[in-house]
Amino acid sequence: MPLENPFQDPLRFERRVPECAMVIFGANGDLTKRKLLPALYRLAYERRLDAGFAVLGISRTRLSDDQFRDKMCASVKQFLEDSPFDADVWTAFAQGLFYMAGDIDDPGLFPALEGRLKEIEAARHTGGNVLFYLSTQPSQYIPIAQGLGAANVGKGQHGWRRIVIEKPFGHDLASARELSDKLHDAFEESEVYRIDHYLGKETVQNILALRFGNGIFEPLWNRRYVNHVQITAAESIGVEGRGAYYQEAGALRDMIQNHLSQVMATIAMEPSATFRPNSVRDERSKLLRSIRIMKPDEVLQNTVSGQYGPAHIGGEDVPGFRQEPGVKPDAQTDTYAAVTFFVDNWRWAGVPFYLRSGKRLPKRVTEIAIQFNAAPLAIFNGDEVNTAPNLLILRIQPEEGISLKFLSKRPGSGMNLRPVSMDFNYGSSFGERSPTAYETLLLDAIIGDATLYTRQDMVEASWTVVDAIQHVWDATKFEFPNYAAGSWGPKAADDMLARRGHVWRQP
Amino acid sequence: MGGTIAPDRILHEMADLWVSLGKQGEGQTGVLRACSMTLVVAAEESDDEQAIGETLAALMPEHPSRAIVIRFRAEDQRALAARVFAQCWMPFGHRQQICCEQIEVTASDASLPDLAAVVLPLKVPDLPVILWCRSPRLFHLEAFPLLSSIAQKVVLDSLAFGEPPAALRDIRAALARGTMLADFSWTRLTRWRELIAQIFENRAQLTNLARVSEIALTYSSPAPTASAFYMAAWLVDGFQKAGVQPRVTFASTPGPHDRQLNRIDLRAQGGEPIASVGLLEGQAAEIRIGELTSRAVLPPLTDYALMREELSIPGRDPVFERALAAAAGLALS
Repeated sequence: MPLENPFQDPLRFERRVPECAMVIFGANGDLTKRKLLPALYRLAYERRLDAGFAVLGISRTRLSDDQFRDKMCASVKQFLEDSPFDADVWTAFAQGLFYMAGDIDDPGLFPALEGRLKEIEAARHTGGNVLFYLSTQPSQYIPIAQGLGAANVGKGQHGWRRIVIEKPFGHDLASARELSDKLHDAFEESEVYRIDHYLGKETVQNILALRFGNGIFEPLWNRRYVNHVQITAAESIGVEGRGAYYQEAGALRDMIQNHLSQVMATIAMEPSATFRPNSVRDERSKLLRSIRIMKPDEVLQNTVSGQYGPAHIGGEDVPGFRQEPGVKPDAQTDTYAAVTFFVDNWRWAGVPFYLRSGKRLPKRVTEIAIQFNAAPLAIFNGDEVNTAPNLLILRIQPEEGISLKFLSKRPGSGMNLRPVSMDFNYGSSFGERSPTAYETLLLDAIIGDATLYTRQDMVEASWTVVDAIQHVWDATKFEFPNYAAGSWGPKAADDMLARRGHVWRQP
Repeated sequence: MGGTIAPDRILHEMADLWVSLGKQGEGQTGVLRACSMTLVVAAEESDDEQAIGETLAALMPEHPSRAIVIRFRAEDQRALAARVFAQCWMPFGHRQQICCEQIEVTASDASLPDLAAVVLPLKVPDLPVILWCRSPRLFHLEAFPLLSSIAQKVVLDSLAFGEPPAALRDIRAALARGTMLADFSWTRLTRWRELIAQIFENRAQLTNLARVSEIALTYSSPAPTASAFYMAAWLVDGFQKAGVQPRVTFASTPGPHDRQLNRIDLRAQGGEPIASVGLLEGQAAEIRIGELTSRAVLPPLTDYALMREELSIPGRDPVFERALAAAAGLALS
């Protein structure tokens, strides 16, 4: 038997995709319907999956294979973004969809699962490769991992086994370690894929291309030229019916511990020696471990916790967080969090990284703004405009792209400068649809490329930083609400930057 | 038509064009100029001007370039004329305008030897030059190598060349002279080839590879097309790498698309089917592997899609070059 496929043409073909079956726990849930199945269908439409690719959905609801296929068909039609629905492609794809009703507390589920996987392998030639996707409540991660381990389903006799889990990866350092230990009973760390969909976004991946594919940026990427960095993840919506869940999480845990820390690590990490997954992840991990851990007396100076109150926006009354369904009237949950991080390494010593995330802010926007030092001498008139600093802005959503702001002479006789912007927009510049984050990340997991997935040491490093803040916040009684829905957050957040002579950008 | 073109005058006109675009953008955010290559299009005067313009406009966002469109007239008298204009689009919610420049040159066949001296100063410094030759007649003109020598890569379509064996022979000869080439007849096969490669990415199917004893290619034209020869050559090359020597058969049947490959069957001894890829109505393809059947949607093979793929490969393509040599050998044998 030949060891290598002799027909590959990497210059023209997309990445090579192995045969596999994917087991989705929580197959009747929202994530499966809204994100996973539309992404898998789209991959099939783009000819990116093996012909025998199969999905085995598991949930408590009793459904036949055909009923599951019908439900998923309706979901794909409803949630498919920027793509046509092709009935013939769906029909062929749906032949690989299977369903199994079961309760994860039932010890019989996992041996039965192994039996079903063997049947699917025989029918679909999936080669014993299985990707488990935990699209369930986080509280079910450990029971599922234990069930897979006890029935020895987590180890394939031939072929690989991998497990994908969604955030939160614990709610603090101790619980993150416990989750990791339990996962490791059934899976090696290299088989655990912790998904962070922010890392699947084109612009976040493009940070690596921008920094390490170009020679001109890296010499400027340090404390000598960068004044400070702002990372913003703003949402215009509130908790949208997830109040009960959200009041246990908060913005610091829900966004800064994972998404924004990972984005910060990608912006600030050292160049990786190779583009191999562990090499890139080693550098991200090193950076996260270099973030200075705040002492208790530093926390309130360098962080801001906020919660939105009611407001009247666009002719409509918008409730405050405490008025949202399922939220306690005296909830101390942070719907807004802003922190000032410092990175204790030679490259970044003394450069503030401001991270903020909040709900009910004026608009939905996620961006990174790198502000460079102003020219050392203002030789042109010296007014505020003529000394405006250069900004490199990496927009992650809604429009993925990159902008560079610099000064240019205003036409005319005087030497007056004006800021101009050079914009690069992903959607329009490359004229074609970008894959969704889930398409990218699911394909990566099937291929076995963990570059964009979070490793346990990274999770622990970011929890170590966040726990130090959370402990002080837990012991503090905040005067909430402290910002109105539709504003850019509490005044204290502006004051935090003002203490260092900086102001938040208003994207 | 005037008798000469002064490249300096064209460059000056282009500079004026940018100033005028900039003035139109005054008070807004101005105009950005984007360029990643010089794209020279050599076409017949009778070629569809609007279709070429639309293809270039579609290519610009992904491959912004200075486009030089040369329209040839079969005429013995030397004649050249040129005009410049810009292609613009609004990528940022109509906030920012990006433009690429286009130069249109009309020339007689007799002026072809003069054109290299015109194009050379007009190409954008430090960036590659790609020549898209849309007419086999131009490719066969004696002076064509003078023009093609400026380009890093010449893109052709052997489907327009007439007899496939002769076309493949001529293209192979051009390649042997050192011209880096692309042929749309090969580009049209990428999605087919990817489907075949994907079949053998599966380890169970990889074990079946050694059992393949026949490659049957079906196409919708009276004789095998250049694409059919390319596909046969590429498949045979792949099987030979795995130590397998299947025989190749060609067959002609009516298919959903004119002059295209319709179907590929890989069979074991005795005709047992191992895998097949067949074109269906519309843009769909059906892949059969044993009892498994899947469907794929193949993107439409427009000039834009083919050119877009070729522009993304600025360097040599060793798989194509190997297939070209073998396809020409197969067609001429």
